[in-house]
Amino acid sequence: MSDLKPLIEAVIKGDIKLAAEEARRALDSGNSAQDILDKGLIAAMDEVGVRFSKGLLFVPQMLRSAKTMQECMKLLESLFQEGDITTKGKVVIGTVKGDLHDIGKNLVSMMMEGAGFSMTDLGVDVSPERFVQKVQEIEPDIVAMSALLSTTMPSMRMTTEALKQAGVRGKVKIMIGGAPVTDKYAKEIGADCYAPDAGSAVTKAKELLGVS
Amino acid sequence: MKPKEVPTLQPRLRVLNREQVLAIHAAALEILEKVGFKMEHAGALEMLTDAGCRVVEGDRLTLPAHLVEAALGSAPKQIVLYDQRGNEAMSLEDGNCFYGTGSDATFTLDLETGQRRRVVLQDVANFARLVDGLKNIAFAMSMGNPENVPVEDIYVHVFAEMVENTNKPIVFIADRGRDISEIYQIACQVVGGEEELRNRPFLLSYSEAISPLRFPENIMEKLIFCAQKGIPICLPSGSNAGGGAPVTLAGALALGIAENMVGLVVHQLAGRGSPFLFGPNVSTLDMKSTVVSYGCPEWSLTQAALADMRDELYGLPIWAYAGASDAKIMDAQAGVESMFSIITSMLSRCNVIHDVGFLEYGNTSSLEMVVMADELIAMSRFFTEGIQVNQETLALEAIARVAGGGPGSIFLMDDHTFEHFMQAQFLPLLLDRSRYDSWKEAGATNLYQRCNSEARRILAEHRVEPKPDEIIKGINRILKGG
Repeated sequence: MSDLKPLIEAVIKGDIKLAAEEARRALDSGNSAQDILDKGLIAAMDEVGVRFSKGLLFVPQMLRSAKTMQECMKLLESLFQEGDITTKGKVVIGTVKGDLHDIGKNLVSMMMEGAGFSMTDLGVDVSPERFVQKVQEIEPDIVAMSALLSTTMPSMRMTTEALKQAGVRGKVKIMIGGAPVTDKYAKEIGADCYAPDAGSAVTKAKELLGVS
Repeated sequence: MKPKEVPTLQPRLRVLNREQVLAIHAAALEILEKVGFKMEHAGALEMLTDAGCRVVEGDRLTLPAHLVEAALGSAPKQIVLYDQRGNEAMSLEDGNCFYGTGSDATFTLDLETGQRRRVVLQDVANFARLVDGLKNIAFAMSMGNPENVPVEDIYVHVFAEMVENTNKPIVFIADRGRDISEIYQIACQVVGGEEELRNRPFLLSYSEAISPLRFPENIMEKLIFCAQKGIPICLPSGSNAGGGAPVTLAGALALGIAENMVGLVVHQLAGRGSPFLFGPNVSTLDMKSTVVSYGCPEWSLTQAALADMRDELYGLPIWAYAGASDAKIMDAQAGVESMFSIITSMLSRCNVIHDVGFLEYGNTSSLEMVVMADELIAMSRFFTEGIQVNQETLALEAIARVAGGGPGSIFLMDDHTFEHFMQAQFLPLLLDRSRYDSWKEAGATNLYQRCNSEARRILAEHRVEPKPDEIIKGINRILKGG
């Protein structure tokens, strides 16, 4: 078994080529794929998160680290049995019906994936029915909704209601975010939490699920 | 020899040379011809393909340069906005700059408590009244989406509220075809009919495509509506560097311009000769917070570049921003960032300059910020007017009188000073130059406190010329769905 430090360093630096080499080396020297994921890749992303919140890293650097992690995951994926990878939790994410903006939502999705969540991104203009259908299909832990416009915020309420109607509201946590969204609004519509930005989305998701 | 009147240089900023202008323009055309864009409005898509756009796949089109040339050729080079009583108010041509407020803020700073809270409809009324009472603020926008109005009617209600509280021109937002037609009905009520509104428009529609290169159905509905009715419109996509657009400013400008050209082409196909205000919003996405910055130097630089592109190539009046900040309270940062964009937007002769009075990257509006900006605009105008050089201003006679006069001769006593000081000097109202002791005696106030007092004074004292009862009744009927 080899030391995972060089892999961690390469992920933090966002050096895709080096990280892939280090991941392969770690595998060759007998580390399990799950260990490389947990103690290597996710540990690296945790450190990236810490550095980012201290203002030592910028968003593109953090995203590059996330991309580096994803590239390494491609090497590991075949070694996991299907459904075998333990993640922090399953998340279904989308921009709500009527809203076509996706930059913020994509950023949240990337950050959460980097933090070890398994993300299913439904894209933009996602109807309540589509959220419900996906929730029934993959049984996620969290439904995350984004809206940039004041005029599309009501779709968040409609989606929350639709999840209730379908009888699955109790099985998922709902988190919402986007420029016009407030904590108060989250409470009003019965969402479980509001995250003001991508970094706090990760923290809040962990809190919701009681994982670290 | 007597000095004669000489032309006055009015300082003007240039940030691009001709080669840069042409390269950015060429890149914009290349984006449209090679990359293409997504047109999600069936009618607009049909107009574009009929005119010569090629379908790449589904609703993805490419657009040939000649359509851009034709649209630039048919759009008016001069747009005049009137006030709500039919007087010419904003002649958008040459070097004319007009400042106004912004829209869609979620929060506002409470005038009484200073606390940030959700916007309510009364705030929209207050901002409109304040704008009406400020000399250097030329047009009103809502400054907020009120929480006490049904969200599907939000833009109709804020428009009606502005109409009741100011007679200045209004830049408005709508969501789609339905609410824009109600806003249009209200506007027709105000001026007495469709023809009157077409001849003397007091409103301008602000709408955004989605960067990169996406044109949603509801946005196109509004664009086509405005083109057909002759309502001036701007369609600045949010091609923010690092967000909707590449992080490098040249690429972000090229993308934003390309997006604007699509809007312009559709607009001119739908209403040839209708007024279209050019220009994307090219700010930056902050690389730490991922907010779109309202205080960054980049936005000032890109709109100065856009003004150069207007002068060199496009000839259409442009849309711009200024007087806003990323600061959360009206502090030194708010002052610095406001002034930076106000003076540069004036020096580069941007035409319609919005967002005056925003804090927190456009998320919070502040009456005090608008009051401060009014003074900063006056200060910038003074600077931009330049130095008039003629016999009177060279003042050789006054110099001779004072220097050659007896003991006790001072310029302050000379008639020349009395006659000229009001024009010769910038006389601040809010920026404090008092001596220390009198400043202390007057309460040792800072600029925020003085702007707060001034906002309260204007709201208490300024009388907005009321609209006839008939008009108000008509508006209320429209609001009630009659």
